[in-house]
Amino acid sequence: MNIVCTFCGSVCDDGIYEEGKVKRLCKLGSSKFSIENKQRLKAPLVDGKEVSYEEAIEKAAEILVNAKRPLLYGWASTANEAIRLGVILAEKLGGIYDQCASVCHAPGVLAVIEEGLPGGTLGSIKNRAETIVFWGANPMEAHPRHGVRYSISAKGILVKDRKHRKVIVVDVRKTKTAKVADMFVQINPGSDFAIFTALRSILNGNENAVPSEVGGVKKEQLIELANILKNTKYGAILYGLGVSQSRGRDRNVEAAIKLVQLLNRFTRWVIWPMRGHYNVVGAGEIPAWEAGYQYAIDFSRGYPRFFPNEFSAVEVLKRGDCDAALVVASDPAAHFPAAAVKHLKKIPVIQIDPYINMTSLLAKIIIPSAIYGLEAEGSAYRMDGVVLRLKKVVDSPYWTDEDILELLLKRVEELKR
Amino acid sequence: MLVLRPKTKFDISVEAEITPELATKNLKEIENFQIYCGNRTLKLKDLFEISKQGDEKKILLEGDFSKVKYIGFGMDGGEIIVKGNVGTHCGALMKNGKIVIEGNADDWLGAEMKGGEIIVKGNAANLVGSAYYGDLAGMSGGKILIEGNAGNYIGDKMTGGIIEIKGDAGDFIGTEMRGGQIIIHGSCGFVGSDMRGGEIIIKGNFELLPSFVEKEGFWIGDVNVKGEGKIKKLQ
Amino acid sequence: MLYIKNGIVVDPKNKIKAEKMDIFIKDGKIVEEKDVKKSECKVIDASGKLVVAGGVELHSHIAGSKINTGRVMRPEEMRYVRLVAGKFRACVGRILMNAPAIGYEYAKMGYTTAVEPAVPPIGSPHTHEELDSIPMLDKLALPVFGNWHLVLKFVAEKNIEKLKAFIAWALERTKGFGVKVVNPGGVEAWMYGGNMKSLDDKVPGFGVTPREIILSLVEANEKLKLPHSVHLHCNNLGIPGNYTTTVESIKLASKFSNDKRQVLHITHVQFNAYAGDSWRNVASGAAEIAKAVNSENVTIDMGQAIFGPATAMTGDAPFQFTLHKLLGARWSNKDSEVESGAGIVPIAYLPSNPVHTVQWAIGLELGLLCDSNKVVIATDYPNGGPFTEYAYVIAMLMSKKMRENELKRVHQYAQKATVLPTIETERTLEEVINMTRSLPAKILGLENKGHLGIGADADVAIYDMNPLEVDTSSEFEKVYKVFKTALYTIKGGEIIVKDKELVKEVWGRTFWIDATKKVDPSLIKQDLEDYFKYYTVEIENYGVDEAWMRNPQRIKVV
Repeated sequence: MNIVCTFCGSVCDDGIYEEGKVKRLCKLGSSKFSIENKQRLKAPLVDGKEVSYEEAIEKAAEILVNAKRPLLYGWASTANEAIRLGVILAEKLGGIYDQCASVCHAPGVLAVIEEGLPGGTLGSIKNRAETIVFWGANPMEAHPRHGVRYSISAKGILVKDRKHRKVIVVDVRKTKTAKVADMFVQINPGSDFAIFTALRSILNGNENAVPSEVGGVKKEQLIELANILKNTKYGAILYGLGVSQSRGRDRNVEAAIKLVQLLNRFTRWVIWPMRGHYNVVGAGEIPAWEAGYQYAIDFSRGYPRFFPNEFSAVEVLKRGDCDAALVVASDPAAHFPAAAVKHLKKIPVIQIDPYINMTSLLAKIIIPSAIYGLEAEGSAYRMDGVVLRLKKVVDSPYWTDEDILELLLKRVEELKR
Repeated sequence: MLVLRPKTKFDISVEAEITPELATKNLKEIENFQIYCGNRTLKLKDLFEISKQGDEKKILLEGDFSKVKYIGFGMDGGEIIVKGNVGTHCGALMKNGKIVIEGNADDWLGAEMKGGEIIVKGNAANLVGSAYYGDLAGMSGGKILIEGNAGNYIGDKMTGGIIEIKGDAGDFIGTEMRGGQIIIHGSCGFVGSDMRGGEIIIKGNFELLPSFVEKEGFWIGDVNVKGEGKIKKLQ
Repeated sequence: MLYIKNGIVVDPKNKIKAEKMDIFIKDGKIVEEKDVKKSECKVIDASGKLVVAGGVELHSHIAGSKINTGRVMRPEEMRYVRLVAGKFRACVGRILMNAPAIGYEYAKMGYTTAVEPAVPPIGSPHTHEELDSIPMLDKLALPVFGNWHLVLKFVAEKNIEKLKAFIAWALERTKGFGVKVVNPGGVEAWMYGGNMKSLDDKVPGFGVTPREIILSLVEANEKLKLPHSVHLHCNNLGIPGNYTTTVESIKLASKFSNDKRQVLHITHVQFNAYAGDSWRNVASGAAEIAKAVNSENVTIDMGQAIFGPATAMTGDAPFQFTLHKLLGARWSNKDSEVESGAGIVPIAYLPSNPVHTVQWAIGLELGLLCDSNKVVIATDYPNGGPFTEYAYVIAMLMSKKMRENELKRVHQYAQKATVLPTIETERTLEEVINMTRSLPAKILGLENKGHLGIGADADVAIYDMNPLEVDTSSEFEKVYKVFKTALYTIKGGEIIVKDKELVKEVWGRTFWIDATKKVDPSLIKQDLEDYFKYYTVEIENYGVDEAWMRNPQRIKVV
């Protein structure tokens, strides 16, 4: 039976599931489907005591309704149906909706606000891109099948195979991806912005503004790189957290987009982020149509507002600016800075997740849920915005995130009346 | 003059779009002035001790206002003195008047400010005098003086006015600036990316981008937008 | 059951011109008086009020990756607050709006059906998810075909049977309603920086021409007897001098005949109606286009520009890049697999700008010079501006006096570059009701929409105006106010707007066309298999199943 993988943003949809065995998917993806070794709760817990789903949801609804500023965070590893309910729940509660992008690719959203996003789907890259630049991205480790399916060695209708494609890696160290590349440009940490700027200067005919070395790269090599970019028929810059989470963050992405805008005056280039969690794109697309923004959305005044520096989860927690939290399909206790986790320990936390994780340790209410793509059906956005249907292949006693949130929303609406 | 003191230490942030205009209202109106705390709509008197001393268009904020947002937002005259720290969006879209902050200021200080004066005795955070997301112009007039240090993203898309920082500033100063002046007495990071006009004057160290060319003792750029902005060393 | 009493009904399809009539509603349909028990009916007293069918939006980009990227790109648009959350959802957005706002605003205007006219086929699940989040409306989606590699291949092979089978397959998979064509061939050329400059340019890699693509798709569409005709966004959009391409495209219709409806619908024609050879001497080509429209079996929609902010978003990716270069504005682009493309650029129409004034005038000229049974009111939302200003367009079409007033306040370049100042025509109420209801429904082949005859869907709008007492020519301010907000909107028999306020949230249906029984799917089996080797999704995971949709409504073509 065909399955769609729910590990990384590549959302490979060619998996096979046969009698509990997974074929074709990479190690990371296959691990998602072998759940025997993972810790799961038998039933919801409230203050460590097993209760029914209805009881746990009732208790959760009371906490959320009484909160002055509840934070609803997570969403990157659940289905679109659940995300939509989450956004509506945040609106009803006058709370904050934020999602995992705010600690990884959200700077790219700020860059899109400044410059737009000249991009393409993975299929356009696979079939058309003669040159692919991985900038601060290491798909060979983070997105293991990206190279085979969509980029490095993918077989396209117009660009036939690896032989007809040039792969360039720009990174601060020689990554696994750099080792399979045709060209590796090693840059100093924190110099992405300066290098994007230098490439723009060269392409604009202002080589004189570029010193003999920028960010550890010799001017001659920058000129060589600029010429390759300019002389490609169709190219793609695929950037990773090395760009969006290093010095310059959104400004790095903005500079990269400006470079792509400029390149399109000579030839065709697209740019796209290498998104991490399987549905982190959905966690942004859905609030965008429901509320106008992708993340860091505050509904306290009865309408959505967007300020990442105030409403993204880490900032909210660091500022101590929330009094309850609903965490869905995420583990902020493991990944957030200590100052943020400190506040999370002070407030009632409700967790909805298939698995036990670090956040469970500080949660007042834990509601276990079914695993999308294995135990539950739903939709998800691949990193390029293509929606795929996650399959249900085995039965499970667990409620889905959608079921849980649907009842939670209903109870919240009733309590608020 | 109106004097406000927080009744308690705020856990959840408060939104209070207080401008000096409020000091000219009668006490009842002042007490009932609408403010917000999380998803609750409250009155000024619910969270602040209020004392009105005459009708002068002046507000004195005593105590910790670091979690109080939108102080002096869009104000058009009069004076606000903050005895401590102040929250985000202070003096944003301000047209006229004066704000003195004796402590530190949070993000978006004087964002899209059009006129008037802001003085910060302590430090300011990020996005001072910048444009709000999606808007085409940041600060267009007036003056912001920061006696301590400032954070990142100072004067984004600035078209006029002056920002002066006595200490150090962070990264990305005067990005896409089109007019006005930024003076930094200390050091800072990247400066003037995609600037078309205006001046950035720095005394300490800074990182020059590979899109500026030296000319008669200063730098001109950003060449990528055919800009005529100037980066100078403060003598 | 509903009983709308004593209203003044205008129903062009049923040839009712402002007659006092009662309307009865049962189970979501318009029924005869004898079918209801009056004592059990909820009564709406519509005495002295205008009663018409719910509006049908023929072309508005309301859902999918384009508008959603537009929202993300333009937070300055979303900061505008329309409605604070309460009984209804929070609504934000100045011109671009969040999904609930789109449904509510259409409902408040008296509209109950809308077409999303540009679905990138691989993006269809996104489009449908987003359509499913728009309340109040019945919806339809048109996938784009004009640059799809398989279409280009079948056109090159001159294999109409395969093309038919492919269209049927694609409509089923995308849950689409009809065949949209955007800049045929031009978007594929854009993948390498090019475009199509005439109907006879050759598409790189395929050797076919825009002319051949259009003719083949129309032929396949007509042979399939689809309810809607091909819906064409012409080549050369947004380029001075492009009206000749548009006239040529319109004339392609002469090769086909259909006595039920048009054989070709040309969309947002304003953007394709420019004479001159540069923006410095741009002028209106609307008169020539209207002549062609009136003599061929085609229909159009206006693509009216409304002064103020807007956002250009089309499947015409090369045009969007040109616009980005012209304005220096933000630019998003999306090359979709080897299917289609799209772009987004913020814009604004200013009355002080000579070019914008010409654009504004051209839309109106088309609305006045084309036969009123051939031109539909639309702004190509959000390209020409908001749909919420249809009242302005209606009032302008109905009043020469209003046009004279408006012409005084805009750049005087319009006086010499357009014929708008010389047009005497004033549309009648019956004509504008046709142009917003019966006609778009007829163009789409939706028999139960756009009219109030027995059996029609109970989608009704009541406006605060007695058509027997208003002089629409001189009382244009009143006309504007009246059509801006309906007094009542009834959707599927439920009152959703009352006294100009939202009263109930309802969820409409999504219509899609199933023509799979009219073709032999085995014809294209091998082509699909070969082709899907190059896709990034498995063929079994491509498209949308009915089970995932909120309320799908299959229309079988037999």
